[in-house]
Amino acid sequence: MNDIQIHSKITLMEIDVLQILHQRTLEKYTAGPSTDRARLFFLLLPFFDGKQWSEDIEDSAKTVAIVYAALHAHDQVKEASPVSKSQQLTVLAGDFYSGIYYRLLSGTKNIRLIQLLASGIISVSEKKASLYENTAMSVAGVESAANVIETRLLSIYYDHYGLSSYKEIAIPAMEYVYYTNQLDFLREGQKTNLLHKLNLALPLPLYSERWILDKLDELHTQLTDVLDSHPMDFRLKNFLLHQIIPHQHLAEQLTREG
Amino acid sequence: MEKVKLKLLYSDLRPELEMIEKELEVAVGSNSLLLNEASLHLLQAGGKRIRPVFVLLAGKFGNYRADVMKQVAVPLELIHMASLVHDDVIDDSEMRRGQTTVKAQWNNSVAMYTGDFILARALEYITVIEDSKIHDILSTTMIEVCRGEIIQIEDKYKLDQTIRDYLRRIKRKTALLISSSCELGATVSGTDAETAARLRRFGYFIGMSFQITDDILDFTSSDEELGKPAGSDFIQGNITLPVLLARQDPKIYSHLRNAVGKEMSDGERMEIVKMIRNSSALQQAKAISEQYLDKALKELDHLPKGPANKTMRKIAMFIGKRKF
Repeated sequence: MNDIQIHSKITLMEIDVLQILHQRTLEKYTAGPSTDRARLFFLLLPFFDGKQWSEDIEDSAKTVAIVYAALHAHDQVKEASPVSKSQQLTVLAGDFYSGIYYRLLSGTKNIRLIQLLASGIISVSEKKASLYENTAMSVAGVESAANVIETRLLSIYYDHYGLSSYKEIAIPAMEYVYYTNQLDFLREGQKTNLLHKLNLALPLPLYSERWILDKLDELHTQLTDVLDSHPMDFRLKNFLLHQIIPHQHLAEQLTREG
Repeated sequence: MEKVKLKLLYSDLRPELEMIEKELEVAVGSNSLLLNEASLHLLQAGGKRIRPVFVLLAGKFGNYRADVMKQVAVPLELIHMASLVHDDVIDDSEMRRGQTTVKAQWNNSVAMYTGDFILARALEYITVIEDSKIHDILSTTMIEVCRGEIIQIEDKYKLDQTIRDYLRRIKRKTALLISSSCELGATVSGTDAETAARLRRFGYFIGMSFQITDDILDFTSSDEELGKPAGSDFIQGNITLPVLLARQDPKIYSHLRNAVGKEMSDGERMEIVKMIRNSSALQQAKAISEQYLDKALKELDHLPKGPANKTMRKIAMFIGKRKF
């Protein structure tokens, strides 16, 4: 499968998810459902790798994307008061998307996956809430939160369909994407709870950027090591390394920024 | 006081409701201290537990087993709780049932995660039941309830909406979850299809009557009875049945037209409340609520007589007569 075919498949899935979640008022007043292409890539990774694929697995992949969209919508709710119409509808968008994922899986009688995803959402919500707690968090605690928030649902989906071997690729890659976003927020001066906890966990707040850059290097090395020994097609490996997580080594980044 | 009176009506169900209360407490337990505290805070604020009551009562028309009934009753209450915690973010509410809301006690984000957590607990709980019919009913209800709330926000400040728009909105917003509580209770206890359909319709009619009564009480009760200013719905832009009926008088319409969506002093608010009170709108709204109540009672007439039927009838009568 070449790059164009991979992009096309991701786009088709994105269109399907957006169509399923379409609701006129939500479309008009909210940012709309978030469909992260990197996440869609990992949901489709076994398909790209030539694994036996069925309509059932593809439908489930869409529902996992919908769960992420539901949780993402609720992450967008801010503390503004009085609440705007857009904010009110963003709250409802998350609930609406949750209802849709439940109905889709109920429609395919995949009750077990509803249960597993629900337990995943519980873990994700607990980790997100832990970033709001007043108690100190260690660096390992921050890493664990990032891991669960970003990859737990994907892991559940892989495990459910006997595709667990892809976790060793997808988990470091999704964490890579997550930390890259956090780095962008840091550089743009935006505050996130994870960055706040990381600042508190490190000996000096200024270490955060360096810590994230080191983490990105570590994750990239971990991923290339796994890919080296993985029988996956080299074009797919290239796509992953160059289009999903285009990595710039720490030394390069530091040189670039003078 | 009214809540106590209502609870007395279903005192026969006390052992099961106590069991459900304990299950709810276990269900909201979390590894996160914050979610644990927020969920318990919500649970301890109490509530009428009317949805579990309808599940249990509907189950009495079939092969009633308390341990099976709770598999539906607990998640339905959890779903209701999750929606309340999110609704408080939508409405920017500081207080509910005499307690601070989760969003006020912590913040909007914690309220969002608490709601997501409780909803997920509900789904984790109910998926012990493998019958996909149960999940079809519940998932469809959840979607429709959301649609109702979305429409409610869309219809805010629209004085020229139709009564049909209003009825469709309250059906989704309130009646469906009560209707589904009855249908799910019937289905899980294995009643025949006709009984399940009658119970579903009973719940729907009761839900409609309940919401219309709620909307009437927003104008007839005092600020103290309501625990919020009378006429709050109108101030927040929610155009309810009493307003839709009152606007038929051109003078009232013109007054409402000038007031809708504007900042109001207490005096101006009370002027609107008095205008609605003095019109025939409240009586007309009450008549519509009673029509729904009659339909609910007629459904009960066709169901087997017995203690469950009797309790449902009492609850229906209570809903029709409640004062606040």
